[in-house]
Amino acid sequence: MAPKRNSLCNIGLALAAIALAGCTSSVVVESDFPAPLVEELPVSIALYYDPALRDFIHAEALPRSSTWTIDLGDANLAMLDPLYDSMFAATREIQALQPLPTDAATFDGILSSALQEFQFDLPNATRDEFVEVWLEYRLELQTPNGEMIFAWEVAGYGKAEIDRNREDAVHRASITAMREAGARISTQFRLQPQISDWLKDIEDARI
Amino acid sequence: MPEYNPQGNRKTRLIRNLLVASLACPILVACSTTSRLEPYKQTDAVLEAGEGIVILARRHHSTHEAEQDFVDCISDALTKGRDPILVHDSTDFLDTLYPWFEPSTAPLNISDLTELLDRPAVAERVEDTGVRFVVWLDGSTDRVASGGSITCAAGIGGAGCMGLAWWEDDARYDVDVWDIDGLNQSGTIYADVRGRSVMPAIIVPMPFIARPQAKACRGLTDQLELFLTTPEGYGAGPEPEIG
Repeated sequence: MAPKRNSLCNIGLALAAIALAGCTSSVVVESDFPAPLVEELPVSIALYYDPALRDFIHAEALPRSSTWTIDLGDANLAMLDPLYDSMFAATREIQALQPLPTDAATFDGILSSALQEFQFDLPNATRDEFVEVWLEYRLELQTPNGEMIFAWEVAGYGKAEIDRNREDAVHRASITAMREAGARISTQFRLQPQISDWLKDIEDARI
Repeated sequence: MPEYNPQGNRKTRLIRNLLVASLACPILVACSTTSRLEPYKQTDAVLEAGEGIVILARRHHSTHEAEQDFVDCISDALTKGRDPILVHDSTDFLDTLYPWFEPSTAPLNISDLTELLDRPAVAERVEDTGVRFVVWLDGSTDRVASGGSITCAAGIGGAGCMGLAWWEDDARYDVDVWDIDGLNQSGTIYADVRGRSVMPAIIVPMPFIARPQAKACRGLTDQLELFLTTPEGYGAGPEPEIG
């Protein structure tokens, strides 16, 4: 009798797994982000990516809907890497956020990036046609010896029409939001007063 | 043996035709499309050999956005028209000019465009694409009204539906054509196509669907073709039509 009960149990577990899988919507954001067409700043920067940014997965159980997991980890790096490469004369990634040794003084600053907030909204009514995504990156620029120069929260918003399915719309809205944040970073970074002062100081030091 | 009665047969046929007509006429009249196209061209700039256009949807509104399908519909139709026009892929254009045509950075007027093209790298990249005109598409197709009801039932003897449902869609788009060479607005085209669909159900539902978006696509494509190839004063758009 025991083997029969075991097999019934297995069937039950399999059905439960299928039912749970049916209640989960999973999106892995993937895209080739273009390098921005911006004038390069004459500085060399050490780039630090927050570990949570690399492995960022947003999980949320929506009321009267399924549980969503949205994986942005790889997409974050795919967006930020070409962005910083175009913005700065030289970049190199560092694995830990700590003052650089004095022999690494070839760098003018350390820029750390983190994704501190991600929100998305699915339409409730059938007449609503758009999925919306909002995210916020936090950038911190420090001197090579660890003094904070500037902290900046940059938001990106994206919406996408639901034409095939909701997962596809979330994917497109996330990419739009990330591109939007990237556009802000690449066009407005140099316009921040603290950055202008920092650039001027570097220029004066070189003369 | 039934008696041959030609007059009786004719009468029966007449009554049947009248009955069909009395049922079909209101449905066909109810299922209608009304279109209005208003082109306005203020320069005599036209596409020269080797020059192209790009069609971009305005994406900065929070409430609506021109559908990508609609952008593709006009792009494809212009590319495959009688006099094919070189239409640059919009996604490729946005990537090539990133980050200058994203929702928050895209130029909203000619003054913004002039400022953008003052950047040598941007101007050079635009020139490389071969795009002479930027066609901005703003608007959407929305359901503006609906009503009626259909009831369906099934039993051992069979199933069937009874009732009447209708809905009305409005495709309203503004096209703004910018000349990159002249750094001016060449003109605008306004399209408003409204279509009412009806679905009567007498046992089986029979949809009579109006497609205002497809009609707006055809109308705007025809107007854009003329706009881009004919100098100033190429004439008004088609008369408003009902049918």
